Amino acid sequence: MKRHTIYAAFLLLLLSSCAWQGSVLIDPDDIIYTPFRFEPPKTQRVELENGIIVYVLEDHELPLVNISAVVRMGSFYDPPGKEGVAELTGTVMRTGGTRSMTGDQIDEDLDSIAGITAVSVETQSCTLSLSVLEEDLDRGLEIFSDILINPAFAEEKITLAKALETEALRRIRDNPQKTAFREFRRLIYRGDPRGRISSIESVERVKRGDLVTFHRQFFRPSNVMIAVSGDIQRENMVEKIRARLGGWNAPGVPGGFPPPPVHAKASLDYLFKDTPQSIVLVGHLAPGKENLDYYAFEVLDFIIGSGGFRSRVFGEVRNRLGLAYSAGSFYSSQTHYGIFGAYAMANASSTLDALSAMTKILNEVKSKGVEPEELAWAKQSIINNFIFSFATPDRIAVGQMMLEHDGLPDNFLTTYKNNIEKVGLDDLREVASRYLSEESRVVLVLGDRERFDRPLSSFGDFHVTEDGAGADQ
Amino acid sequence: MTSPKISLNLFLKGLVVTGVALLFLCGASRPCDAYDLIGKVKKFTLENGLKVLIVERHAGPTVALYISHPTGAIDDGDGHTGTAHFLEHMRFKGTETIGTRNPDEEKQILRRIHETGSTLDREEMKGDGADRQRIEELRKRLETLQVEAVKLSIPAEIDRLYTENGGGDLNAFTGQDITTYHVSLPANRIELWARIESDRLANPVFREFYSERNVVLEERKQRVASDPGGKLMEQFLSTAFIAHSYRRPVLGWASDMRFLDFNYTSEFFKIHYAPNNTIITIVGDVSPEGVMEVIRRYFGPLPRRVVPLRRVTEEPAQTGERRVEVNFDAAPRLIIGYHKPTLPSFDDCVFDVIDTILSGGRTSRFFKVLVEKKGIAADVTTANGYPGARYPNLFVIFAEPISPHTSEELEEALYEELDRLKREPVEMKELTKAKNQLKADLLRNLSTNSGLAGMLSYYEIVVGDWRYITTFLDLLEKVTSEDVMSAAGKYLTRQNRTVATLVKDK
Repeated sequence: MKRHTIYAAFLLLLLSSCAWQGSVLIDPDDIIYTPFRFEPPKTQRVELENGIIVYVLEDHELPLVNISAVVRMGSFYDPPGKEGVAELTGTVMRTGGTRSMTGDQIDEDLDSIAGITAVSVETQSCTLSLSVLEEDLDRGLEIFSDILINPAFAEEKITLAKALETEALRRIRDNPQKTAFREFRRLIYRGDPRGRISSIESVERVKRGDLVTFHRQFFRPSNVMIAVSGDIQRENMVEKIRARLGGWNAPGVPGGFPPPPVHAKASLDYLFKDTPQSIVLVGHLAPGKENLDYYAFEVLDFIIGSGGFRSRVFGEVRNRLGLAYSAGSFYSSQTHYGIFGAYAMANASSTLDALSAMTKILNEVKSKGVEPEELAWAKQSIINNFIFSFATPDRIAVGQMMLEHDGLPDNFLTTYKNNIEKVGLDDLREVASRYLSEESRVVLVLGDRERFDRPLSSFGDFHVTEDGAGADQ
Repeated sequence: MTSPKISLNLFLKGLVVTGVALLFLCGASRPCDAYDLIGKVKKFTLENGLKVLIVERHAGPTVALYISHPTGAIDDGDGHTGTAHFLEHMRFKGTETIGTRNPDEEKQILRRIHETGSTLDREEMKGDGADRQRIEELRKRLETLQVEAVKLSIPAEIDRLYTENGGGDLNAFTGQDITTYHVSLPANRIELWARIESDRLANPVFREFYSERNVVLEERKQRVASDPGGKLMEQFLSTAFIAHSYRRPVLGWASDMRFLDFNYTSEFFKIHYAPNNTIITIVGDVSPEGVMEVIRRYFGPLPRRVVPLRRVTEEPAQTGERRVEVNFDAAPRLIIGYHKPTLPSFDDCVFDVIDTILSGGRTSRFFKVLVEKKGIAADVTTANGYPGARYPNLFVIFAEPISPHTSEELEEALYEELDRLKREPVEMKELTKAKNQLKADLLRNLSTNSGLAGMLSYYEIVVGDWRYITTFLDLLEKVTSEDVMSAAGKYLTRQNRTVATLVKDK
């Protein structure tokens, strides 16, 4: 091994003045890289007396501090008929003031110190983030904590947030991609709270009391984790957080997130949109992150469509057939469940060609598996790219916090590469047949069927669906 | 564009919005010695004119690698719109040694493909007078040849090599006057990047030329034909500019894109991708000496070429308001733009301040007045520096009325706010707030390797010197409320504006 390296180094020296001239250009696959060992900096974990878990990582390169708080809540818990409550709770926490400050005062304070606070609400989590200059940390943290614990939900800011959300829903159908992915979500999660999505009507029904209740239910110390990175002193930072949040007392842990039910049968839905380009989505429920199938499915998804130009959907639908500019697949996984989808935004007159090509790819990985070279390529790509999980201190700190938030073991990251390495050809075929069954396949086609290459019925019985954004005017 | 993940418009906007860089990040009160960027940037120039900027930093074991050329749609030429962007797609098709199973045989086939393809194009361009039968014959021949060529090639090798070695952010962007290729790699993989990039500057092979033309036409459908914002933007720019090349869409007009030409594209490449027209920017866990050894070895032999002086028609002063309507089945929206000078002029810097005062954050004037107080807008944003930055450009307002309010109402209200800028001096507090925000944005941009690399290469290309970042900070300090008032009075006039409105199909 060592000899090999020396030889290669010698060869490089010989080549050094003429790297690409003539025929001696080195084969890119033969380049030898100096191995390096990388130990990500250690994040410190502290549990406050009231149950808040804090991850801290110092980084003094720039005078900036980033704080993220993740809360186990989300649109999963939207009351039926009032879809949008979780989202509005997050929005108006940020805008609607606190017990000691109005929303306008907070805005003014934050803008004048160039601090940024944002709240994002997902299906199963809500993240409140703060980015602030080091010298303004105390003021920033004061506002941040107050928003977290004491939001006032001022009525006029609720009215504003509802109006803006309603307009956003009204405008969703102007965006074919957003429309399609929203609808896909409803279909893949049918019969599950995750498939209930806000509409103009459901947002209209939301009242201030709903937000107050929602906040009270989920914002509890034992349901909150915080990650801090940047220009801080660790001990000092923990003390600052303890001073602001340590006295917060609201015991109890709200419920968890049961996984969505598995579909009994396949579906084919058509959503009309007058557009020269159709959007085709083919989806399945997929394994959760704690599942041993997770690693094999990551590799499978990479090969099917998320591995760039070489992946099958991209290679076939875009490169070989030239039917689309955007095509590929995605796999998004939580604890206990995930979703997988292959997509293409195809020329309307090639809609059925694209759909057939995609389903054929899915069926083939089930029946024939994948090539050994594809497996090697996918594994090596995933493993080599893994280092970017540690590219910035903020990513490291938040990543560590999210592991605990998701209920994953804290060695998840250190064993990840090894687990990917172990994936074999048989594993891929096994997960493909377990999760990509035609009997549970959800297909959505958005477009104008008058312009399709063949009738959609030639692919199967289809259901004509409407977008769920709600009534206009 | 090579990846479906990032939109061209977003990027262009990103350039403008995030392109404002800062480095001695000072809070409002403290002297700032926080990040001595100047001391960390090392600049080298090879004998062939290639410029290299390197910043060594050890945040993580990765490196961001940018290659930029001061070219783009501006160099397309009428009748050839879309060439610069299409060339960017072609550059992912490999080289003489990357992506082939049999270079000699493949070369022969590709030559025949291009002969057949251009003959076919010439026939089809005749339109109604074309010989249908000949077209059919040529199409079949082209198809057969393409099938042959595919057998001799290995598709997507560049992507495969980068991906397999852990590459992330692999993408490229073509703008009006800057084109950038970038990738992030584990820091020990620099040689792979040098091997691939020097090779595709020296020996690119434009495989899949004719099928890729369909892909960019689909890209156009996605970004323009099915996207109300994209469609309105295209009409807006071609109305705002009547003489300068900024009037042409980066993606190209569809009729030109159908006939994108192999020889023209090859010639475009030779001229604009010369080493003396190239800037490399590297930020990450590397040593400048080690990197330069690799760069000299791989890029040093590229021959310097003559880059002809670009002749650009100056946009004549606007003589009155221009308006354009787009009918589209979508909710109403509008774009308003005003001609103004570009950086490094002082007025451009004043417009960064105006940009922030009008739409930076929840306390900005447009949000406060139009969204919160009057409740007539769903969204109003502004951008300084559309659609390019190397020539006089536009200050642009993007606005969406909230139903049932109309674009007309919103437009009136927008003008009222602009008039206020001309009439009343901005209070010191508001001015300072805007400056602090601009500085903090810059600092946040520095926090990732790719953010810093993008910023350095941007200024090096646009102004000719990345140190404009410090000049900008000096200029920013000097901006007074009188400057804001006078720039608003001078440029934000009715005579100098272009308005594009989206009107729902009936």
